[in-house]
Amino acid sequence: METVVRMGEASASNTPGDVLACIGLGSCIGLALVDRSKGVAALAHVMLPEAPKPDPPQPHKFADLAVPALLDLVLAHGGSRLRLEAALVGGAAMFQFGGSGQDIGQRNAHAVARHLETLRIPVRATEVGGSKGRTVRVAVGADLAITVREAGGTEEHLLGAARAGAESRAVFA
Amino acid sequence: MTTFSDLQLDALRELANIGSGNAGTALGSMLGKSVHISVPTAAALPLAEAVAIAGEPDALRHGVVVPVVGDFRAIVLLLFPDDDARKLCAIYGIEPSTADGRSMLGEVGNILGTNYINVLAQMAGMRLDPAPPQVVEDMLGSILSSVLIGRGEEIEEALVLDSKLQVEEEQCSLSFLLLPDHGGIKELLGRLGL
Repeated sequence: METVVRMGEASASNTPGDVLACIGLGSCIGLALVDRSKGVAALAHVMLPEAPKPDPPQPHKFADLAVPALLDLVLAHGGSRLRLEAALVGGAAMFQFGGSGQDIGQRNAHAVARHLETLRIPVRATEVGGSKGRTVRVAVGADLAITVREAGGTEEHLLGAARAGAESRAVFA
Repeated sequence: MTTFSDLQLDALRELANIGSGNAGTALGSMLGKSVHISVPTAAALPLAEAVAIAGEPDALRHGVVVPVVGDFRAIVLLLFPDDDARKLCAIYGIEPSTADGRSMLGEVGNILGTNYINVLAQMAGMRLDPAPPQVVEDMLGSILSSVLIGRGEEIEEALVLDSKLQVEEEQCSLSFLLLPDHGGIKELLGRLGL
């Protein structure tokens, strides 16, 4: 079954054959935490770098709260803390709205990466930045795989079983 | 859930109706065609739902974004399915995914956006100006979510004023949305005594 993870939401699965997807990411980040040895994955659709106030109704909306909340979720589904790997997709700058500072997509990507580092979760693959929207899909199970499709493009492997060396597609460190 | 009353949403729908009607007339004279605009819908929706009601999130769209600046911040957003963008550009013998095509779609955004917000500005006694349009070709969900999140302020729900615009002889239709920012819309309603 495919579960679409909408803005500010998160979902996890350990059922082989399930797919978790963030469809049409722009400046948002699709953050996947996976334990490939157990075939467990969790995916969040993160919108903003920081929660403006504590205890918001949708913690997965904000990078600072989404990362620890998603960690709890993947552990609750049987993921092993020491085998977790992260993948980040999205964070595009589709428009220039003027004003000062970095664009929101880049701020989102940096915030997610920073919180992953704090929790010592290694980032195995990223496909972030640029100006195009993306869709990310995580296929759950023994041959767990993460794919990315850019607007108008084809499905590409980002992480997982299908092709050795697929991780080198990362375009942004 | 919603922070707008029915009376306020009705008033906004009526403003959108007058604004988009005026904009449609202006586009009609630019194209030399008759342009029909549907009565808009006005809804305040949680962000995820605002994106979901617009259509399949991975459907490809040509999008024109016209930021509105001044006393009130908002985005005018046009969304064209590819076929409709082709028909519209074909009036001038050009293709949408070219520099000329993007310029033409940007100009349509400019005409519609300017005329729409001029009406709002007059009725509410506010100063509103359009910024230059930006034209993209991307997934519907990516366009809409990026526009709604915009500069990155935290918002719970999006106010969406949505009309369908049809260029009659060309069987071409597009979505014409006004996405005001919350502070701005409260200010606008205040000036109208609502």
